[in-house]
Amino acid sequence: MTLDDALLATELLLAWALILQSCEHLSTTKYDKPLFLLRIACCLVLASGTAPLLSLAMLAVISLIMLHRFQGPYNGGSDRMSVLIVWCLLFAHALPTMGLRETAFGYLAVQVVLSYFVSGWVKLINPQWRTGRALQDVFAFSAYPVSEELRRLADFPRLCWGMAWSVILFEVMFPIAMIDQALLIIALAIGAAFHLANACLFGLNRFFWIWLSAYPSMLWLQSRIVDALW
Amino acid sequence: MIQTIKLLLPGLIPSWKFFKAIEPSPRVQWCMMDEAAQSCTDWQEYRPRPTHISAGSMLRRIFWNPNWNEALYMVSLAERLSLSSSTHSRDEIFKRLKLQLIRTNAIDAGRPCLQFRLVFVLREGTELVQQITYLSKTRRISDIVA
Repeated sequence: MTLDDALLATELLLAWALILQSCEHLSTTKYDKPLFLLRIACCLVLASGTAPLLSLAMLAVISLIMLHRFQGPYNGGSDRMSVLIVWCLLFAHALPTMGLRETAFGYLAVQVVLSYFVSGWVKLINPQWRTGRALQDVFAFSAYPVSEELRRLADFPRLCWGMAWSVILFEVMFPIAMIDQALLIIALAIGAAFHLANACLFGLNRFFWIWLSAYPSMLWLQSRIVDALW
Repeated sequence: MIQTIKLLLPGLIPSWKFFKAIEPSPRVQWCMMDEAAQSCTDWQEYRPRPTHISAGSMLRRIFWNPNWNEALYMVSLAERLSLSSSTHSRDEIFKRLKLQLIRTNAIDAGRPCLQFRLVFVLREGTELVQQITYLSKTRRISDIVA
């Protein structure tokens, strides 16, 4: 995958994810209407490919306004990833040399790999996760299960243990997938299924779309590393 | 400028420690009352989750889930408010509660004041317990900008 192809794919997916987010904001409060309408307009310009630098600069400014408006992220990790992608894309367009542009886009890919590895590692070193108790607690009393029925999954410790270890192993082993493109595609498919499950069970739909937006950066970095080595 | 950098840096250099530990989980509860009331006896949970959600609804929510995301924002606000007495978090919770009352036609002229509290659910041994960690002052609903 070339850098231009990866940038274009990321921009299209990012535009889709941010338009969805913005429409959700517009439906819940009228206060920030001008801000989110402007954000949608910037996404449409970005998706059209006519002025990527200008639209990304505008989206970066809007991300700062939103951080002030909500005094941090509105939706935790998904907003953090949105900010990261917007700023990495902006630098990948604005920096003066190809090496610096590649570094900015490669930084995004490295952060996505870390997003899996670090969250797997912190679970691996936590005995509560290794015994499955932590996932039982997620279902039992956390704010995330989308229905009361789902809370009953906490009553199945073996199932929670199996799910917890599946998540831990996938996340900590994710960086290995960077050595081979076929392996990476399989890992990304598993990752997408993982985010889809989180969207269904915990209502984390924004994570699904925004992590997908960052996937082209990993496909590009993997091919770039292979090219550099061979 | 420093505040902007403090807000932006966790986005540019994220920690990614999702679900590192399962912390006590907040619930926002609200109550409408008349001005003479000394204390509330009728606490309602903000957006209680449904008993059941169909597979079709789950799939639809992948594309459209604004209410749930607003509820998760309220969880974030509750966590921030419990860590430090944030005016922003308190005002945002009041504002979102009022919006929800308006949306559900729950405004009651006989009970013009609103109060909320934060109840944290946590595990103690094998039991789940609830702790009230924050009780807001009472506000007239008409004074809340929403």
